[in-house]
Amino acid sequence: MFTQAGFAAAFEYWPMFLEGVLCTVLLSAFAVFFGFILALILALCRMCKFAPLRWLATAYVEIFRATPMLVQVLLIYNVFTLAFELPTFLVFGLFRFNRFLPGIVALSLNSGAYLSEVIRSGISSIPIGQTEAARSLGLPAWKTMRLVVLPQAIKNILPAMANEFVTIIKESSITYLIGVQEIMSVVKAVQGATYRQMEALVYAAVLYFCLTFPTSKIIAHFERKMSRGYKR
Amino acid sequence: MATRDKLARARTEEYLAEHPADTEALISVRGLKKYYNKGVIKALDGVDVDIHRGEVVVIIGPSGGGKSTLLRSLNLLEEPTEGAVFFEGVDISRKKDDEGKKIDINVVRQKMGMVFQQFNLFPHKTVIENMILAPVELGKLKEAEAREKALKLLERVGLGDRADAYPIQLSGGQQQRVAIVRALCMDPDVMLFDEPTSALDPEMVGEVLDVMKQLAEEGMTMAVVTHEMHFAREVGSRILFLADGKLVEQGTPDEIFSHPKSERLQDFLSKVLI
Repeated sequence: MFTQAGFAAAFEYWPMFLEGVLCTVLLSAFAVFFGFILALILALCRMCKFAPLRWLATAYVEIFRATPMLVQVLLIYNVFTLAFELPTFLVFGLFRFNRFLPGIVALSLNSGAYLSEVIRSGISSIPIGQTEAARSLGLPAWKTMRLVVLPQAIKNILPAMANEFVTIIKESSITYLIGVQEIMSVVKAVQGATYRQMEALVYAAVLYFCLTFPTSKIIAHFERKMSRGYKR
Repeated sequence: MATRDKLARARTEEYLAEHPADTEALISVRGLKKYYNKGVIKALDGVDVDIHRGEVVVIIGPSGGGKSTLLRSLNLLEEPTEGAVFFEGVDISRKKDDEGKKIDINVVRQKMGMVFQQFNLFPHKTVIENMILAPVELGKLKEAEAREKALKLLERVGLGDRADAYPIQLSGGQQQRVAIVRALCMDPDVMLFDEPTSALDPEMVGEVLDVMKQLAEEGMTMAVVTHEMHFAREVGSRILFLADGKLVEQGTPDEIFSHPKSERLQDFLSKVLI
């Protein structure tokens, strides 16, 4: 199943793996960034007084949570390629933009839906007294949200957010199906070049672990940092 | 919804025509009603109150009688179902004034400090950060000025050395004193206290009441909802007795505590320890 020669052969392609890692990191970072912004907007919409906005946001979240990621990625990719003439330049001279962009969009839209539920639960976990105190001092609603409620909410939901970030890194692997040159697509290429299945997959697993494990550790560090003020 | 609001406003206007607000008063409340569950629960059922500058108005009464609702209506944390709240002669329960200018409730609230039963300090900020947040964010003071002012206020309530502590590191009494000076940092024209000592351990009630008493002596206009009858008697310049959403009786501490007129008040006083 595994042979030393097989590992050595796959290892020959380490520069490609490195490019794959870079692509996965970029893809995930963009998806986390845009997904978080989208999630924040969705969460606020779901809690706002204007009913149609609430319904719209709820419908969005429900649809994205109730359909498979694979279907979403393929749909979005096809919509993009059919609707727009995407430029074909290479991001960092490495990754095809017309594949990379739909990948980011699909991942962001998906993680936005999941993260918005996390953020919403975080916001509603903050006692109403905090809002009342801030409003009674004359702070407008949005400043109250930004300065008083959100910092506390995000501290509460950091573990759940870490979970979501790690999930994005892992799920970004699905985008190899639309031709994004991330780790899994490198695996496919190496498998084809070496005529061996397992070794490249093992390398991929190790690489994914090396990405996700530090991510959760880094967030745990922030969690500890933010909980000062909550310990006597 | 909109029509219901309009109807309520029309009834309020009618009421105001017969019972005009006292524009000399700092706060003037007319025909204030607050219903929950479509009128099943009447937290406030038509209350008229005036609070003048320098007064210490203490609101007493049985639980569920509408004391807190009344207090919270003064800065519109509670939106009235019907009725009007005037602050410094302006009807703040309306969206726009007579000239069509928008009434900014946030600006009004800057002049009305509020202290809550549960302190409600911001746990992610230190004592001094709690205090300077609003004045700095709202452009009232520069950060250095705000810090200086906050430290002075902290000294006054005996917490000068706790400026950099987090709220959780303080006792309940200390937290409530910080909450009071946090509100004072905005230089309010009136201070609203919503059962400020009810969540405190008994041995900490005194330190908070002392700060409030000192504030009253300095001439701060105050509205206080409390169960501390000693405080009401000693510091209050006028007592309101609220029961079943109505202002049943009001008067000087002596009138209320020594010569209660209504049966409801006599009954209430016989049940509380004085």
